[in-house]
Amino acid sequence: MAGDKRRSRPSIRLAADIGGTFTDIAVFDEASGQLTFGKALSTPHHLVEGISAGIAKAGSDYASAKLFLHGSTVAINTILERTGAKTALVTTEGFRDIYEIGRINRPDAYNLYFKKHVPLVERALRFEVKERILSDGEVERPLDSDEVAALAAKLGELGIEATAVLFLNCYRNAAHEARARDIIQSKNPGMFVSASHELSQEYREFERTSTVVANAYIGPRVKTYIGEIEQHAKNAGFDGSLLIVQSTGGLYDATQAKEQCVRMLESGPAAGVIGTQALCHTIGRDRAIAFDMGGTTAKAGVISSGEALTTGQALLGGYDQALPVQIAMMDIFEVGTGGGSIARVEQGSLRVGPRSAGAQPGPACYGLGGTEPTVTDANLVLGRLGADRFLGGEMQLDIEAAETALRDKIAKPLGLSVTQAADGILRIAATAMSYAVKGVTTERGLDAGDFALCAYGGAGPLHAAAIAREIGIREVIIPFAPGVFSAFGMLFSDLRYDFVRTGLTRLEDASFADIERVYGELEDQGRAAIAATRVAPQKTVVKRAADMRYVGQEHPVTVDLPLRVFQKQDRAAIKRHFDELHLVRYGTSAPQEPAEIVSLRTTVTGVMRKPPQEKIKRGGAAPPRAGLTGKRKAFFGKAFVATPTYRRAELLAGNRIAGPALIEEHASTTVLWPGDRLTVDPYGNLIISIGSR
Amino acid sequence: MAKKQSKTARAASKPAKQRHKVDPILTEIVRNGVIAVTEEMKTNLMRTAYNMIIYEALDFTTGLFTAEGDTVSIGIGLPSFTRGMSNTVKSMVAHFGRDGIKPGDIYVTNDAYTTGSHLNHFTFALPIFHGGELAGFACCMAHWIDVGGTLGGMTTDIFSEGLQIPIVKYQDRGVVNDTLVDIIRLNVRLPSRAMGDLRAQVTAVKTGERRFLQLLDRYGRKPVLDAIKTIMDQADAAARARTRTIPDGTYEAESFMDDDGIDIGKRVPIRVKVIVKGDTMTIDLSDISRQVRGFYNSGPSTSIGCAQMAYKCITSPTDYPINDGAFRSLKVIVPKGTIVSAVRPAPMRWWMTYPMTVVDTVYKALAPAIPDRVIAGHHADLVTATIHGINPRTREFFIGGLGPLGGGWGGKLTEDGVSATVCANDGDTHNSPNEQAEAKLPIVIESCRLIEDSCGAGRHRGGLGIESVVRARSHLTVNTQTDRAHCHPWGLEGGLEATGNQVHFRVDGQWKTDQPNAKTLITHLKAGDAFRLRSGGGGGYGDPLERPIEAVQSDVRQGYVSVEAAAKLYAVVIDPETFAVDRAATETLRSTRRRERGGEPSAAASA
Repeated sequence: MAGDKRRSRPSIRLAADIGGTFTDIAVFDEASGQLTFGKALSTPHHLVEGISAGIAKAGSDYASAKLFLHGSTVAINTILERTGAKTALVTTEGFRDIYEIGRINRPDAYNLYFKKHVPLVERALRFEVKERILSDGEVERPLDSDEVAALAAKLGELGIEATAVLFLNCYRNAAHEARARDIIQSKNPGMFVSASHELSQEYREFERTSTVVANAYIGPRVKTYIGEIEQHAKNAGFDGSLLIVQSTGGLYDATQAKEQCVRMLESGPAAGVIGTQALCHTIGRDRAIAFDMGGTTAKAGVISSGEALTTGQALLGGYDQALPVQIAMMDIFEVGTGGGSIARVEQGSLRVGPRSAGAQPGPACYGLGGTEPTVTDANLVLGRLGADRFLGGEMQLDIEAAETALRDKIAKPLGLSVTQAADGILRIAATAMSYAVKGVTTERGLDAGDFALCAYGGAGPLHAAAIAREIGIREVIIPFAPGVFSAFGMLFSDLRYDFVRTGLTRLEDASFADIERVYGELEDQGRAAIAATRVAPQKTVVKRAADMRYVGQEHPVTVDLPLRVFQKQDRAAIKRHFDELHLVRYGTSAPQEPAEIVSLRTTVTGVMRKPPQEKIKRGGAAPPRAGLTGKRKAFFGKAFVATPTYRRAELLAGNRIAGPALIEEHASTTVLWPGDRLTVDPYGNLIISIGSR
Repeated sequence: MAKKQSKTARAASKPAKQRHKVDPILTEIVRNGVIAVTEEMKTNLMRTAYNMIIYEALDFTTGLFTAEGDTVSIGIGLPSFTRGMSNTVKSMVAHFGRDGIKPGDIYVTNDAYTTGSHLNHFTFALPIFHGGELAGFACCMAHWIDVGGTLGGMTTDIFSEGLQIPIVKYQDRGVVNDTLVDIIRLNVRLPSRAMGDLRAQVTAVKTGERRFLQLLDRYGRKPVLDAIKTIMDQADAAARARTRTIPDGTYEAESFMDDDGIDIGKRVPIRVKVIVKGDTMTIDLSDISRQVRGFYNSGPSTSIGCAQMAYKCITSPTDYPINDGAFRSLKVIVPKGTIVSAVRPAPMRWWMTYPMTVVDTVYKALAPAIPDRVIAGHHADLVTATIHGINPRTREFFIGGLGPLGGGWGGKLTEDGVSATVCANDGDTHNSPNEQAEAKLPIVIESCRLIEDSCGAGRHRGGLGIESVVRARSHLTVNTQTDRAHCHPWGLEGGLEATGNQVHFRVDGQWKTDQPNAKTLITHLKAGDAFRLRSGGGGGYGDPLERPIEAVQSDVRQGYVSVEAAAKLYAVVIDPETFAVDRAATETLRSTRRRERGGEPSAAASA
């Protein structure tokens, strides 16, 4: 019925994920239920061109679209490449250095040449104003509007493009921050002004400063970027809503994204996890590791009880020199192992990564001047990759160059054969990634062995079976179109707004009236944000959570709480939820000890209509003849085995393949080990049952 | 005198011969594996811990050890404790004997003379059995916030510092020793936190056991243990290779601590002698001060610990895992009864302060030999305050630490020193956020800022120290135990010294700055009174007159260095309004300075 109403109107949902090398497009037609994909080279200097090319490849156009979903690395790259705006910080008198002091830790503890984080705002541009709010929200020293106005004028004179405002304890009383922001903005209408409470009302002033400064620093560039896309799409006839993917995997309106830019830092990786969540939902799994391996790194997220796990903080730019960002994010961890990771001999042992050959010069086998052996070279030498099948045969790989690099740099120094060296590189890479996956799940009190491994990205399907073996995972899923999976995932995103507010209170003394007031305010903000978009979601869902801990403990855990515990004012039930989560997460709990609430969290979701997962044509157990493309010698543990190769596009639902086998598609190859058994499911996903190790 | 004492010596042993077949691939898998095991132990401890010192300050270490107690891998959290856990495990092995060690056992101790540190450091160790064989130990040390003893003030023997648990079984073949737990509960002020931390530590060692067993199951016990031997041999070879690049010779240096908190103003000498010969190094601490009356002593494990820390920083700073192979080429000589090898009943509560200066003094000694690998003196103190009282809001007793503050680090041959970073004793240790401290404790933090001109001048200047002003909102009692207020962080190669650490009080609106040192024990404050912690900067490296003018100008523009200091120390003349450099005046001033000192750059060092 809905389709009838919309027949004459645009019914297309476009999704564009811009990566360093490729721009991936997914197109969903709500009217016909059809899903198509496009892939084009990214165009770094004018990114909109890559998007347009991708949309054309997917056989669609802007004019027929009503929703345009977009994930981009522009925000994160602006920080990592330090190409943001000339930014100032305005803060409470006595505290302009908290941003430089940071948390004082020295992770590289034995290195006398250790480095500290480098602030995005130099000290000379960090200004103090007289004001002070105490931890209970009481104003000890009122803000002097004249002083702020004078400073605002000075910021303008200095040519400041963006200003971040942070006052101490504003999480309890944001009045000063809001007033200072308004004064600075009114004096400098063209300046990007951001106050910390708009992004986070959680305590920890360094983390909040870093968050609001990051937002201001990237603000002008992100704002311009989104504006360009809007304009470009509009010129091409687009009259729908542009929605941006946040680091939570949720969507927000372009207008909101232009102000709260820091929320889109990890939009691409988050969308992949959302895709995994949708896939799990379709095929009836509730626990999965979303594993995305590309050229330089591997990233993983966790789906538990059907939900992607999120976190309240992320560290940008490596742990040692990290700039923290304290906002809701998909809980994604990164390992410095990708297809381009370089292997080397150090102190008589074989090391892999984290240095990467990147796309230029790339692995030795690319023939672009790279002479160092990489993970990709090892895959080629072992026959896992076909020299003439890379990127659908568009790029011929040089196997001799790979062998030479492996022989000279690894095999000879260690007294190994080239095959042993290549096999060793892949084993080390697989174990390193497996340790990382185990580490994050342990942190959550989960056992990775109980999860399915959903692998995508160019290199994910190549290594998934080996990593699964190391972890003890029994099922691997290679989704349909793993090369454009993040764009696909965007189609399953919802509008989403996350809020948090710190307010320390003991559970036994907590006033439910106060709690309701805070939740009510946060929820109203979320509903208002949804109303401000042009999208009419199917329904709005509100979720509540609280950061809780035992009295005396420091680190809280975020406990999801059903609405009924608040309706019933059931303290005991809240405590029970907390005790249970604590037991799961840490293996211990203390039901007899009092607990306290540190912060209240709300997520307001505007649920969007989801594309139905499309089924592929059904076949028998044996793959169609056209699917079998030949045999290639590939090395598995002990010896080279003549291994059948299949063209994935030819496979039909219900086909079964026993390992060893190699399933090739445009941007990726799935490796099936001896003993593994693969089934093509009704949706075209490859479901691999891992054999014994 | 010292020469007559019996000596605790760790001999530098011969390089290991290849005793087993080396599989380079499995070696790397096991290397990553043991690091992952210790990291996972750390994660579990940190997340489960009850007190801020463990969770926020990360004052703990986890590790895996061989069946003999040698370090296979330890977390990099607490460098001064490099030796503590291994020696504790070895003491446990000696105590129970190999035959007395059973599956299902977990051992515990907080004995200060075993761990080398204070009674707050509870160490748990779990013997890991695989196929009936002892394959190693999982061990974890963490700082408990209270272990009884006198609250605040000075202690003069170990007995006033709290409950002492000798090496005992917390768990005997799977059965928890409830008697021990009851004794602990009754002897600490915050038993629920102590029990929370105890559970966290047990979880950590069990995690270590489970993950190490998985590694042994996956690759086989012998291959994994052989790989561990290889890893240690490789660490040995790497350390020796780096040591060989240090010119042979005997290098000496001396420095001082302010006092021991009892004999006020009586300097405590730190004398080190470093002998480099071929691929071995000997650090001789024979002439270091005898143990002192105040609580700044540490045990023999710490003398070796700080020597090993200095050695690792110089020879293999970023090689992981941290393991005992890297220390085979180091010999440490130290007689019993010094400040870093104290004997019972020496008080040890503030064990961590002096060893940091011992480490810095080793760098000072080696500066002429390896100028590119050493660092000028740093603030070398936690610069922390402990406060306690009754919280008017909850009417409950509270005890809380502020800090560590972090301070300046020394300049190096090629780089400026780093500002606002935790002292050498600690590694991945965090400060407590001001907002968090204000939410928890009845205090207002009036300011927290870098201190202009706290850095030692040099071609590469030191880092800056921090000042924090803390006001009481109700009656509370403050303790500070800070040293190096008078003995400032030194410069190297002509670099100047930095400012020292300071502690001051504001009573009835008046700052009092006449304390004899920065050790202000049991100071009672009322609402509105305040205290001020200032950490020292880092010493400078090289002649300040050689610092590029642009670098001085930038420092002045950023407010790290004042216009006055730019002129006085660097001979750079800068306009205070525009920050423009008066080139002509600067050239004149610099040449005048050079002439005055007679072309001898190092004259600047004796400022």
